[in-house]
Amino acid sequence: MAGLYIHVPFCKQKCTYCDFASFPKEIGKVESYFACLYREIEGRSKQYKDTVIDTVYIGGGTPSVVESKFIMGALRQVRKCFKVKDDAEITIELNPGTVDEGKIKDYKSVGINRFSIGLQTGFDDQLKRLNRIHTAKDFLLCTNLLKGENISADILIGLHDQTAAQVEKTIDLAIAGGVSHLSVYALTPEVGTPIYTDYLNGELLSEDETADIYEHVVKYLKGKGFNRYEVSNFALDGAYSRHNMNYWKRGEYIGVGVSASSFMENRRFTNTFKIDEYINAVIYNKSPEISSDMIEGDDAKFEFIMLALRTADGLDTAEYNKIFNEDFDNEYSESLRKKAQFLERNGDKIKIKDQYLYVQNDIILEFMK
Amino acid sequence: MSINKQNVRNFCIVAHIDHGKSTLADRLMEKTGQVSERDMEEQLLDSMDLEKERGITIKLTPVRMFYKAKNGEEYIFNLIDTPGHVDFTYEVSRSLKACEGAILIVDATQGVQAQTLANAYLAIDNDLEIMPVINKMDLASARPDEVAEEVEEILGVEAKTAPRISAKTGLNVEDVLEQIIEKIPAPKGDEKAPLKALIFDSYYDNFKGVICFVRIMDGEVKIGTRIKTFMSDKQFDVTEVGVFSPKMQPKDSLVAGEVGYIAASIKSIEDTAVGDTITDALNPAKEALPGYKKALPMVFSGVFPLDGSKYNDLKDALLKLKLNDAALSIEPDNSAALGFGFRCGFLGLLHMDVIQERIEREFDLEIITTAPSVSYKVYKTDGTELVIENPTHLPPVTEIDYMEEPIIKASILTPPEFVGPIMELCQYKRGIYKDLVYLDKSRVELKYILPLNEIIYDFFDSLKSRTKGYASFDYEVTGYQRSDLVKMDMLLNGDICDALSIIVHKDKAYERGRQIAEKLKEVIPRQMFEIPIQAAVGGKIIARETVKAFRKDVLAKCYGGDVTRKKKLLEKQKEGKKKMRSIGTVEIPSEAFISILKTDNDR
Repeated sequence: MAGLYIHVPFCKQKCTYCDFASFPKEIGKVESYFACLYREIEGRSKQYKDTVIDTVYIGGGTPSVVESKFIMGALRQVRKCFKVKDDAEITIELNPGTVDEGKIKDYKSVGINRFSIGLQTGFDDQLKRLNRIHTAKDFLLCTNLLKGENISADILIGLHDQTAAQVEKTIDLAIAGGVSHLSVYALTPEVGTPIYTDYLNGELLSEDETADIYEHVVKYLKGKGFNRYEVSNFALDGAYSRHNMNYWKRGEYIGVGVSASSFMENRRFTNTFKIDEYINAVIYNKSPEISSDMIEGDDAKFEFIMLALRTADGLDTAEYNKIFNEDFDNEYSESLRKKAQFLERNGDKIKIKDQYLYVQNDIILEFMK
Repeated sequence: MSINKQNVRNFCIVAHIDHGKSTLADRLMEKTGQVSERDMEEQLLDSMDLEKERGITIKLTPVRMFYKAKNGEEYIFNLIDTPGHVDFTYEVSRSLKACEGAILIVDATQGVQAQTLANAYLAIDNDLEIMPVINKMDLASARPDEVAEEVEEILGVEAKTAPRISAKTGLNVEDVLEQIIEKIPAPKGDEKAPLKALIFDSYYDNFKGVICFVRIMDGEVKIGTRIKTFMSDKQFDVTEVGVFSPKMQPKDSLVAGEVGYIAASIKSIEDTAVGDTITDALNPAKEALPGYKKALPMVFSGVFPLDGSKYNDLKDALLKLKLNDAALSIEPDNSAALGFGFRCGFLGLLHMDVIQERIEREFDLEIITTAPSVSYKVYKTDGTELVIENPTHLPPVTEIDYMEEPIIKASILTPPEFVGPIMELCQYKRGIYKDLVYLDKSRVELKYILPLNEIIYDFFDSLKSRTKGYASFDYEVTGYQRSDLVKMDMLLNGDICDALSIIVHKDKAYERGRQIAEKLKEVIPRQMFEIPIQAAVGGKIIARETVKAFRKDVLAKCYGGDVTRKKKLLEKQKEGKKKMRSIGTVEIPSEAFISILKTDNDR
């Protein structure tokens, strides 16, 4: 069983914080890109025969910016090439400024059953400053079209002069829109993005201020019935993202399209970040991969620990012992002792105490050999 | 082989830093054909990389030159280079002893400076003929008449006939060569008397053993001569003698008046201390040449490997450096904070810097050094006396009757307008004013008695910044003085960090404690928990700062494509952690140990 990620590298315009593979000026290449994407899906299905797909995630960029026929085509191709489970979770990312009734209908017609909306903030001035193409009202128009569906929204914290009260209002807006899942990300200024300049000039919130907001968010959402199940992810009971949980359990997944990463048969590999390079590779039956690493031994173990400890559930030592044929408690007795005050034990499970989930790097490092 | 002593001149060049000593030496070698212009490496004498970079001379290199004078006769010049820094005053004095004269270079724009004065006095003390030379005539701001007058007024040395040269362009350098013959006396000494050879430097050669740089005062030495020194009982058979041109060039013998080297399969540099006298073991001289002093380290610092497993490499590096440096002292040290390492003693701050840099550069070792300390005398209540070079070895207060600290006699030369700020600084550094002399209209010499322990912190930097770089400074250690000293400990999260302990004057403890705590707060990264930083004297907390716990240390997103990136990020973090030391539960970066030095007293 594996997850499948489909990357759509197009959008209307770049947000100031975006460093993803997304190219507003390349929108003319949509047809050829999707033609290649279908071909890669077929190729990967032959490479990893008999793989059963449990979750599909269509991300970007802005997948909703392209005509829905491409998305439908991609999903038809997936079903044609792979066995997709009947109850598969199939998510698409939406930008509120790019959807209409027709698109939603089309998405649903091919089995898409989860919608992840990029809201970021409920304040139009902030949206504008981030170079987002939509308003807060657009978000509600979008959720209106999705009544009764499984909806998630992305929210950013750490923005210019942002207050906890503003984030609260943003959350209220999302909940009013009927979301059952929220991702709350601390803004990470990446080198080369326009917002990095703001960061250098001290215009964004400090890490401490962001942490204050984060802690506030955790409490506020708990009051609304949303539990944190991973560092940045909150959900009503049962509404967690299966696709993402698979990453943190170190399950297998295939990524197709520009910049997509895969983890199959202990190998991590990533496709090129350039559209032209991708198209050329696929047309000439060459591999679009630009990196490939076998992950074995201590490296694999550390990945397992690092990913598992991101979740509120934590790490299942019994599972670890089974996978790696080891005794976790014995193998990491020293690390466990050193970091005991930050960890919580419950039967076979070890988790980072709630209050330390946001400062976990230092804890995880202790488990790196 | 016999030489005509009348045609030999042994001399050195002394100058304030950057007044052109090495450049003139190069020019003399070039003019005497010792080195062809084409082959000439800039500043040949300073061969160590570090010396070149810093523009200073540490190891001495003598050179033998042949000069055909205008009177038609051929002369042998032995130029003995001297280190130009206050740390090496004793070495300078020994090299001077090997000469009959000294060329005193004075910068035509800057005039007499602190080291000009100190070196000139040292030369006069050693009965050397002083031959002033006014350099940097190529600069537009040269004022040779005034400078000549200064030299006469301040040093009492005739300077009207001083050659006015530019070592850089070569202007009038011939005049220097001619004046050497005219002004500097030929060596005396009796070739038939028992051998007396002054060791003015030595270094260790892997094949030949210790190579002693010597000036033969009396007698003769040749291959096979059985020699001994006055300070050691060991005897050695000479395997090689020779001169420097500037590379070592073997000869059959060296006789009175000559400057050269002796090799005798000597295994340890300790057996050939600078200033000691070599004599013929079978026909010994009655007494040694006067003036020998054991080189005493004055500044001490802990040196630890950054990576604890490199302890043996560090030991090897220090022992190798020690082979060529009798003044470096090494003792094993063990710190709770830094693990196994060494307590090293140095002649002064520059010597310390040079050694530390050579360890890192020549041996490719990363080291942690602790703040320098001086050696204190501790008089215990039971009547015994201790010398403490490491603050952690200080006995409990209850056992101490009183303590003494080393003091220095400082001479500061400055334009008069900076006298106020300098006096303020010296006052602040617990200095005792001794004298103020107007050397001329534009220069004042200030004399102070200061505790050495105040100088090793940031005295140089403060002096420079208060005088816009105009003041120059020189000092000599004069002895010990009773002082009200206390040991101050730094506590991190309640645990004493032994490597940060210092000995400080009681009246200064509060202020330094606060400064160090503030500095540590800057350099210690935030960690999982709040870290109190405290300064304590005798169990009493006198200053406190807090490093707040970090609040966010996580990658916000970690999905399919982020795993590799996140791992790399953590690996980098882990690398960074390796450079940290754990004090109890607190991790502190290695720079922290030295950073406490750099507290800004002017704030």
